[in-house]
Amino acid sequence: MQRKQLALAILMSCAGLAPNAYADDAKLKAEVEALRAEVAELRGLVHEMQAQRTQPPTPAAPVSGQSIAATAAPAAPVAANAPTAPAPTQPVATTTAGEPIPGTGGSGVALGANTSFWGYGQLDYNRPTARAGDTVADLTRAVIGFNHVFDENTRVYGEIEWEHAVASSSDKGETEIEQLYVEHALAPNYGVRVGLMLVPLGLLNEHHEPSNYYGVERNFVEQAIIPSTWREGGVAMYGSTEWGLNWNVGVGTGPNLGAWDPTADEGRISPLGSIHQELQLAKARDPSIYAAGNWQGIPGLLVGGGIFTGKIGQGNATLPVNDSRLVLSEAHVRWQPGPFDLSALYTRGTISNTQDLNLQFLGQPTPVPKSFWGGYVQGAWHALAWGNDSSLSPFLRYEMFNTAASYATQPFGLGTAPLPTQRVWTVGANYYLNPNVVFKIDYQKFHYEDVALSYGNRFDLGLGYQF
Amino acid sequence: MIAGWSLCAGKSRNVSHGLRAALCALLLAAAPGFVSGGGNTVPAQAALSALGQKIFADESLSASGKMACATCHDPKFAHAQNNALAVQSGGANLDVPGFRSVPSLRYLNLNIPFFFANDGTPTGGFNRDGRANDLVAQAERPFLAAHEMANGDAAAVVDKLSRASYADEFRGLFGADVFTKADTAFLAARYALSVYETTEPQFRPFSSKFDLFLKGKLRLSEQELRGYALFNNPNKGRCAACHLSTRQANGDPPVFTDYTYDNLGVPRNAEIPANDDPAYFDMGLCGPERTDLANRSDLCGQFKVPTLRNIVTRKVIFHNGYFKSLREAVQFYVQRDTNADKWYPADGDGAVHKFNDVPPLLTRNVNTTEGPYDRHPGDAPALSEPEIDDVMVFLATLTDGYDPATGTADPARDLPKQ
Repeated sequence: MQRKQLALAILMSCAGLAPNAYADDAKLKAEVEALRAEVAELRGLVHEMQAQRTQPPTPAAPVSGQSIAATAAPAAPVAANAPTAPAPTQPVATTTAGEPIPGTGGSGVALGANTSFWGYGQLDYNRPTARAGDTVADLTRAVIGFNHVFDENTRVYGEIEWEHAVASSSDKGETEIEQLYVEHALAPNYGVRVGLMLVPLGLLNEHHEPSNYYGVERNFVEQAIIPSTWREGGVAMYGSTEWGLNWNVGVGTGPNLGAWDPTADEGRISPLGSIHQELQLAKARDPSIYAAGNWQGIPGLLVGGGIFTGKIGQGNATLPVNDSRLVLSEAHVRWQPGPFDLSALYTRGTISNTQDLNLQFLGQPTPVPKSFWGGYVQGAWHALAWGNDSSLSPFLRYEMFNTAASYATQPFGLGTAPLPTQRVWTVGANYYLNPNVVFKIDYQKFHYEDVALSYGNRFDLGLGYQF
Repeated sequence: MIAGWSLCAGKSRNVSHGLRAALCALLLAAAPGFVSGGGNTVPAQAALSALGQKIFADESLSASGKMACATCHDPKFAHAQNNALAVQSGGANLDVPGFRSVPSLRYLNLNIPFFFANDGTPTGGFNRDGRANDLVAQAERPFLAAHEMANGDAAAVVDKLSRASYADEFRGLFGADVFTKADTAFLAARYALSVYETTEPQFRPFSSKFDLFLKGKLRLSEQELRGYALFNNPNKGRCAACHLSTRQANGDPPVFTDYTYDNLGVPRNAEIPANDDPAYFDMGLCGPERTDLANRSDLCGQFKVPTLRNIVTRKVIFHNGYFKSLREAVQFYVQRDTNADKWYPADGDGAVHKFNDVPPLLTRNVNTTEGPYDRHPGDAPALSEPEIDDVMVFLATLTDGYDPATGTADPARDLPKQ
């Protein structure tokens, strides 16, 4: 952000210079002197920034395309689903390009000079309007993260999550390592990570803290199609360019088709969510690769996309479709003109060579889909603000998605019909008590009901926090 | 692999923890050189299995001298009964009738000990009521029960073992004085049986046409595939809800059972002499043979879900052997509630006495909520007659010993060549 402010200041100064080209020499000299003084001041600022880069970073969560040193600087959110001014600003990390990226945690708590921890959590209340008996109140997630800086170029970062207040092995929910990797900056604007990392697809997967998206629950598309929070183990390179592109490429583990359960509902709720491995004794014969980028060259605008692909048979000798390949791609845009926050995303996935496997699943409720897709548009308005901290942002979102848009054909007409496309309207508001504590309310209207997949009109309340 | 070592090291999957400890102690006491390193080697799996095979086929171990394990568990009939009697008769004169039909022993070595799942579902266990936790415990009753081999106690069994043609082989494996300790020798005999049932490929050959289909070696016919789809479809047969038909989590082929229990309300079988007493009811999990769950009236009438592998070779179906035709059994599943008069007798006033093999106060235990048992009179059955034909054709693909050259299956093909 500081670098961009610097560039803007220069541009604006130049712009201010142009109309005076025809003024008299004395006035021109005076203005040149003033500009020299301003340049000197800016140089000082640059030196100050360079000095900051040599200091150990203060606590902050990682983002793709973000260097270690850059994580030190808290800044206001711009990208992803987070509200911007006049919504509460949040202390978050910045990319090497100087762009703040929201949803990367709060300010955290320092434990000595080089170690910090931070966290976030979410409590939800979901009341289906047609089935009040299914109303649920849930401590959906509680997360503790840590960051330890070994030196100015190297750190380890981790995130540990408890879902649904899981207390015993028989409870629903899980305790999970959501991220755990070592990061090493090879240069100020690029570096390498090794470990368990979030797949940098979509607007939400890397920025999934509750204060960084609208609505009590994460949008369906980025749960059902992009299985947030989706992480894989491997090696990644990240970086940024001077023209505002943050990039991230990697190679590592992928889903395991051998874990597909045709008798369960999970594969229809989220095809990839049902077979991703989360680096838990992951079948890792077939590496997957991905590439993603976000361009933020124009203030207030973010345009990005990515692709993930790999064979997902993982060498399973019992699978008749060992060469099945997953391709998941997505594109997104976010534009924040004035008090508005507009975003859109489209994603589509395919799994090849599923016919023989599905032949073994004939009649079962959940064969492996050949294609699945989803998209949404969302608009929010930072309508009200109180003081420096509190604000209210109503929003409206429309989603379309289909977790089994097509199946490979089967002989004798024995194949399964594709699922109908689901459409969901969500209307609600985020109320930020302060930048890191948000109360949420919304109503979700579904095109069709399916209890097994948790589709049904509902009223939601939520609380989220991060520190 | 050394049998004793694998047993004591906990690698024997068909012996429960308590029994494992007892076996280790007994075998160590019986054969001081049981553990390798003491100069003697422990009984090898192959030797134990060979001994178990001889015990399995030995008719002299029964009071009648005419009944072996193999008598009721005929290897040629997928280790199940080879006749269509509802129950077999045993005892000294082979005239004491039993209470339940004979289950197949095939794939039983993949069974798991009894437990209640997190949701309270009874699961696992050996025998139709799950009261034995492993093959060693399961083998006890047939040797002793009055309606089977009728030995009465371990000493009687061991006395016969000591006079068997393979007695020296037995001594060689378990110690020269093994027959002086009846409990030890009886336990050792059952352990040898369990090793035989666990290690012999014939007890889990996975050699059916369906297995070749799963391996991608052949394609099922159109009718077989239709039947398979109907078998799996939750809105049609829904058979796969209990008779799991997809590969297990570890990639192994399905066993066509989830090892749970269900109360289907199978009609009372008048062919079972015990049923002459109108007050007698075989209620599976809650008794009378099993006693530890006698207070769980909610479980009364539940019997273990059997594997459907080799089901078309079964001469009688269900725990009480009521059905002698598999097709009728499938019809019963889907027409039990739509056409109850077809399966149950009428009372004096003409009313159908539904679920007549369950005490009247416990008929609520019968499964009437899950498909295909969730229908009502006047509803269409979950499967039509042509659809039942398809399911029947599919079930035939589960028979072991499939020969692609002839297109026929015979469980006897899995037996070792004599």
